[in-house]
Amino acid sequence: MSDEPTETADATEEGGAVVERERTEREFPSWERVRESELFVIAITTVALAVFPWLFARAPVISGVLQGYQDLATLIVIWGIFAMGFNLLLGYTGLLSFGHAAFWGGAAYAAGVFSTHVSSSPLLIILAGTAFAALLAWALGFVALRRGGIYFAILTLAFGQMAYYMALSPLSGITGGENGYTGVELAPLLGSFFLQYPVPGLDWLVGTWTYVLVGVVAVVCVAAANRILHSPYGMVFRAIRENDQRAEFVGLNVWRYKLMAFVISGTLAGVAGSLFTIYSAYVPVQSLYWTTSGEVVIMAVLGGVGSLFGPILGAGIYLYVENVISGVQQLTLPFTGPGEYVTLVQEPVVLLEGFGAYWHLILGLVFVAVIVLFPRGIWGLFEDAAGAVRRLGSDH
Amino acid sequence: MSDDDRLLELDDVDAYYGESHILRDVSLGVAGGEVCALLGRNGAGKTTTLRAVAGARPPEVRDGRISFKGEDVTAMEPEDISARGISLVPEERRVFPNLSVAENLHLAEVSENASNTVGRSLGQVQVEHVGMTTEQVYEEFPRLRERNSQQAGTLSGGEQQMLAIARALKQNTDLLLLDEPYEGLAPQIIADVEDAIRRISESGTTILLVEQNAVAAMDIADRCYVVDQGSIVFEGTATELREDDETRERYLGV
Repeated sequence: MSDEPTETADATEEGGAVVERERTEREFPSWERVRESELFVIAITTVALAVFPWLFARAPVISGVLQGYQDLATLIVIWGIFAMGFNLLLGYTGLLSFGHAAFWGGAAYAAGVFSTHVSSSPLLIILAGTAFAALLAWALGFVALRRGGIYFAILTLAFGQMAYYMALSPLSGITGGENGYTGVELAPLLGSFFLQYPVPGLDWLVGTWTYVLVGVVAVVCVAAANRILHSPYGMVFRAIRENDQRAEFVGLNVWRYKLMAFVISGTLAGVAGSLFTIYSAYVPVQSLYWTTSGEVVIMAVLGGVGSLFGPILGAGIYLYVENVISGVQQLTLPFTGPGEYVTLVQEPVVLLEGFGAYWHLILGLVFVAVIVLFPRGIWGLFEDAAGAVRRLGSDH
Repeated sequence: MSDDDRLLELDDVDAYYGESHILRDVSLGVAGGEVCALLGRNGAGKTTTLRAVAGARPPEVRDGRISFKGEDVTAMEPEDISARGISLVPEERRVFPNLSVAENLHLAEVSENASNTVGRSLGQVQVEHVGMTTEQVYEEFPRLRERNSQQAGTLSGGEQQMLAIARALKQNTDLLLLDEPYEGLAPQIIADVEDAIRRISESGTTILLVEQNAVAAMDIADRCYVVDQGSIVFEGTATELREDDETRERYLGV
């Protein structure tokens, strides 16, 4: 039956109603349609990533209100890759890992050590870190996936903490222990572009070469994740999330598919971890600590686990609150005070002093509000809103 | 039925849920092409028998042998058993509710490919019965075509049952295990499911079904086994069971 084309349904449905035909096509799109939609996803991602640093750090008014900056834009994209990879496991396969810090931090250390001792080419560093994370994910997954549900979460947490304490003391000769890994060396990209330099002619848009590298890798990761989720693998992952025993009866080797999802997820976390090493030229030991695993869970849930892009949005919001909101000294009414692009009143209207110190609380409140009000996350809220607008439009 | 005809054979199977001894020396055989019904009261061990055949854990089979086409499948994993041509349609919610109808059917193709890989690597599985194509399934169950883009969870109980059976038929199913196919269905729908089971049987698939609704099951079964407290207490044709008032009253309450 493997040679039976999946389009059989629409090909032989000439007698059926037109509406039915359209439904069928949406269900089993022809290859051209897949290619189209995949290209569409890649194009949208490319444009969004290209405009993002400008919008966030340099655009008039918007960046002034947001108070974003170039480095934070880069960091958001890196964590976005991490959260997206994590979500392939949580959102699509239904497995909650509390140990993804091991892949993020493990790849970061591997990338750092590789840069000192083997090659300082950024692309090779990414490859080395990612390969290390993939192997680590395969080994940990092999053991942790023997158990399901809460036991799986606890096992991954234990492995993650094991990695942290290994880096902290027994392996401190390699990792630098508590001080983190400081020996990262970075050669110019492709031998000619210094990463921290602005891109000639495009620095107003994308900023530095570091961002270009991170952005291109992010597009590749989104394309890969999108391809996987639209392949039969993606469908099997969702079937496993719904009921893994039933999937077994259908004849699927559930364990093997779970391991596959775990390795893919760990690999993407490794890509992000390697990029983090390149971005900061330093690996803190906290990158292996369990709070890193916790942060990525929060990002994914905040943005919405049911979609590819939700977790990236979640990463952005989390890091924005952590890095920008936390620096706000006073909470003032918008458009008051001298520092704003559009000023209505010169004298700022202060609502709350020492506002930034409460950033954990703010994040917590946002998190609780999202969980209670929009269980599908902020991305889910956007989708619902877009659906409502479309319905309003089609009524006329 | 001679022993050579037997597609599935259970030989003195003892199965446990933890420490509770559920199946006691259960022996039964299902011949190729027949519809065989396993009847009995709630808790008699019917579902346990099916789960044991399909390789589900629990129960744990501690003694005895389950063989399919002469091959010992007692200790095999569910997906390996499925690869050999046994499909279980479990009771109650049998579909993936958040996947569309078309995706539910498509899963069968994915797993069948996986199964063939297993078969090749073991070098001993013969695919005798090739599964239906999507088109054949839609011919058989027109309702599923109408609703192919709908989420399976939004189908009615009868439609979900049809979908589960249809998915099993898309695989290279030689033996279809149906657990309570009539449970919770309206009488009119039961007739539809009965029709479907008959057609499947006519197409050459062997069926072992478990049912509490003994009257409905006797209508379509060629042979029946009655289970009570984990042991087989009756074996015979449906006609023989209909005439055996004592067995029916004592073990089935009809």
